[in-house]
Amino acid sequence: MQAEDYQDSIKPGLVAMLPRLKRFADLLAGSKLAGIALLRRALKRMLAEQHRYQRSMPLDRFAFAELYRQWFEELAAEGGAAREVEDAAQTFAGLFPRKEGQDFDPLMAAYLHSLPPQHRATLLLVYGEGFDDIDAGRVLDVAPETIDLRLVRLSASLADCLSGRGQTRARANLARLYAEEAA
Amino acid sequence: MSELSDELLVAYVDGQLAPKQAQAVDKVLAQDDVLAKRVSALKTAHKRLEAAFDAILAGAEADLAAHPVPRPRGFFVSWSALVQASLATAGMVLAAVMLLAGLGWPLQMPKIVWRDSVAVDMEPVGALPRDWREEVARAQALIGRDSFELGVESQTNAELARFQLARMIGPNLLVPELGAQGLRFARAQVLRFEGKPVAQLLYIDAHGAPFALYAKAREGSEEAGFKRYGAIGAVSFAHDGIAYLIAGEADEPSLMRLAEAVRRKENAPVPEAAANAPPMPNPKPKP
Repeated sequence: MQAEDYQDSIKPGLVAMLPRLKRFADLLAGSKLAGIALLRRALKRMLAEQHRYQRSMPLDRFAFAELYRQWFEELAAEGGAAREVEDAAQTFAGLFPRKEGQDFDPLMAAYLHSLPPQHRATLLLVYGEGFDDIDAGRVLDVAPETIDLRLVRLSASLADCLSGRGQTRARANLARLYAEEAA
Repeated sequence: MSELSDELLVAYVDGQLAPKQAQAVDKVLAQDDVLAKRVSALKTAHKRLEAAFDAILAGAEADLAAHPVPRPRGFFVSWSALVQASLATAGMVLAAVMLLAGLGWPLQMPKIVWRDSVAVDMEPVGALPRDWREEVARAQALIGRDSFELGVESQTNAELARFQLARMIGPNLLVPELGAQGLRFARAQVLRFEGKPVAQLLYIDAHGAPFALYAKAREGSEEAGFKRYGAIGAVSFAHDGIAYLIAGEADEPSLMRLAEAVRRKENAPVPEAAANAPPMPNPKPKP
């Protein structure tokens, strides 16, 4: 018989959402390898600091926010240099499984890879996770208006790419977004 | 071509416009092919985004399936849950026993250095708000049909309790007399964990603080090890084919001494009738 480690109340919830968290980590980090390492560090911290979790908050919002915070703080500490090497297009494309019966969308992979991780994360939280602009903003620590702005510009640039209106126009939309966010 | 902003079109595609606004956009789209294509492209963009994120999620699931998260050793329900739930039950039972029986406690009991309640550590991972329903439901999960197998008299008589518990847990079960350690046997009951019986032996100290010794059949031996679960300390060990866990609001040295005392105790021989008795029948499955 073994006395086990203290089982906290958020651990089962975190385990249940591991695939979702891993997807978020992969997209932020830009590769599976870096994603799983980021996720592991973030989970360790979440469990160690779970007193900061409040039951009134949905657990997924807390977990995504903590994961993002981990990534952001590490990025700030490293100056982003280490990530650039890992974030190669081919490595990023590895996030998409290529098995029989599953279509690989190279255009979408290239588009997502071209975006800053914060913008990928915005699209994932809204179109992948179904978060509204308020919750997505809380996770990414930005105002809901910033989320709305990103969605409009990113959607428009993607639509430009898909409709053949050209990379120039798509890039113009992204440049506009960067300028608006910087302002 | 009409002038509708991307802001408006994206809100339209995402279904965020008021019905009247959406109807107005519908009318414009019906008359403007360029805008209609733009909206179609935005819808396609969102669908492909969703498909891309679904694909990445499938990849993440496959990765995790290939490298599953290791389950903690031991039982499905952690010992911490067992200890916390059972001690909560024990506390309520003891309070009821004290009220009903009106027992007075011996004035002179051997002193054990229990933890000062003021100095009890906070829970090691923080103080999450606890929900009584969750705690009680966990306690309920430990109660099985054989929780009622012990007669009322047997529950408070150490020898009778041992007689019956030995048949369920194993003939080498120790139901130690711990008076020298300042603990008085209060009662026993049977809990159920993953279909296997777990004996719960409750003791109280001179101040009425509950301590519990849990016992469950297992093979092999194990040295005593201490763990803390919030305010509750627990020492687990295995001896003569029985796994034990002794738990209470006490510090590590005190609990280790208790564990050693339990280990040293020699039971009186199990009455032959009990040792040779057929195992207790398993409770019939619930309809």
